[in-house]
Amino acid sequence: MDELTLLQRLHENKTPTQESLTRGRAALFSQINNPGPAPRSVKSRRRVGGLSALVAFGIAGALVATNIVGLGGWRGGADSAAAAVLERAATAAISFQDPQVSAGQYLLVESENVHVTDGQEQDGPVIAYTISESSDLYVPADRDGEWVWQRNPISVVDVLTPGGEAMVARSHPTSGPAAEPMLLAAAGGAFYGISVDSQWGDFDSMPRDPYRLLNHIYLTTLGAGSSPDGEALVFIADTLRQGTAPADLRAALLRAAAMIPGVTITDDQATLDGTTGTAIGRLEGVNGMRDEIIIDPDTGTLIGERTVATSAIPESSIGAGDVWSWSSVTTSVVDSAPTGGTSSGESE
Amino acid sequence: MSDDNETIRKSVGTPAVFAEVYDRHAPAVFRYAIGRVGHSHADDIMSETFLVAFNRRASFDLSVVDARPWLFGIATTLIRKHARVEARAWKGLVADGAAAVPFDAIAAVGTRIDAEIAVKEIAAALRKMPARDRDALLLYAWSDLDYAGVAEALGIPMGTVRSRLNRARHTLRRASHRASRPEQEVDHGRTDVVAETA
Repeated sequence: MDELTLLQRLHENKTPTQESLTRGRAALFSQINNPGPAPRSVKSRRRVGGLSALVAFGIAGALVATNIVGLGGWRGGADSAAAAVLERAATAAISFQDPQVSAGQYLLVESENVHVTDGQEQDGPVIAYTISESSDLYVPADRDGEWVWQRNPISVVDVLTPGGEAMVARSHPTSGPAAEPMLLAAAGGAFYGISVDSQWGDFDSMPRDPYRLLNHIYLTTLGAGSSPDGEALVFIADTLRQGTAPADLRAALLRAAAMIPGVTITDDQATLDGTTGTAIGRLEGVNGMRDEIIIDPDTGTLIGERTVATSAIPESSIGAGDVWSWSSVTTSVVDSAPTGGTSSGESE
Repeated sequence: MSDDNETIRKSVGTPAVFAEVYDRHAPAVFRYAIGRVGHSHADDIMSETFLVAFNRRASFDLSVVDARPWLFGIATTLIRKHARVEARAWKGLVADGAAAVPFDAIAAVGTRIDAEIAVKEIAAALRKMPARDRDALLLYAWSDLDYAGVAEALGIPMGTVRSRLNRARHTLRRASHRASRPEQEVDHGRTDVVAETA
């Protein structure tokens, strides 16, 4: 039996209950009869059953219990230089005033993500290249109001495999539907019918005490990523990157990062998208990549993130120390947002 | 019963017709989702997939008869937003899956202990795999789509599906070998794509 067959056998061949089929059908008919912004999806009752749920509850219970003892805080933390930079940034973040968004205005979060990908045509060689994905998120002053999200088309930055230019050009045409930006609009930020909390994080429920926050993060990311500490840093970077976290939460996140073992200054003069800051990261031994967040210690602002290859990846023409991906985020206040978007980005 | 494309074409003018697409494919979308996000979220993914599909029905390529690649593509996009839930679901796969490894799989890997280790390694390998490789692998393994269907669902060329599947399968193979031959030192470097696709 090969690995694929084993994987297929592991898959539960379950059918939905009649109750959940009926509920899904009702949600669909509610949409059919009431076109316009997509309603929030019908949340099913969380069922409890099976060994996995019991095991999950056991682990979760243990972690909740250890909130007194805690996974965070007693196993050491970031090295002293990194901790000092993070503390300085946290102090700055808390005193740094968030831009005030007045009624009718929007907080504009511009983000760009550049990363290595690959493609292959029928029987052709694998071609590695770098693409850029960018988007502009407009968050209204009233967070229950209409959010607007412009997702720009993918653009090719660089072709890494010699001779791959023609294939990349065919995969990413610069005209036609794929080259058009997608414009989404949804009340309360429920793009694609998904509530804003599951997409952007429920900031209100996150503790502001760094120690409790770090344990909250360990609990939330349980089982994900290449290590609990590495994934905690990824969670912190993800949350900071959204650009919508309030100042007190940003400060707590930076202090929580200072409590993660293995976190260190990886580059004190890291330049990202033209801005220089301090790179703080953690080497993950497993996948040969190092995730870093780059912050401006003087303001506590996140400049961006990057992933650096710690060993060469010849098939992608990447050398040790090369940047595998980076992303930057900037926020500002604007008076208007594009109009005409739909909840799924397609014309209705 | 008309083909999916015919049903979707009619639903542009007569929206209620779209419920036929739901009745036809909702169970398959659920089956795919349950493997990736577990029982508690599979209902939501199934429901959300058809809400998004309904809103996008005007953009469906009417020359494609079968709507499943389109629907699985939407479901995959929605599942990506639940990455943390997905990681927890694989914890469940380790617990449930190890107990439920079929008899012939046990025979193949030796003992039940070996089988449990193999499942654990596979779950760990899935967790660490790049998302684009994992999407291709799990669509292929759990949604009954062929290479062309996976390409359609993910909006990528068929050759790319092949290279992603090769890479993902290589990773899984390495993981299950690691489980069955623990005394061997295993290279933790990246897959040699060139060798795999040659």
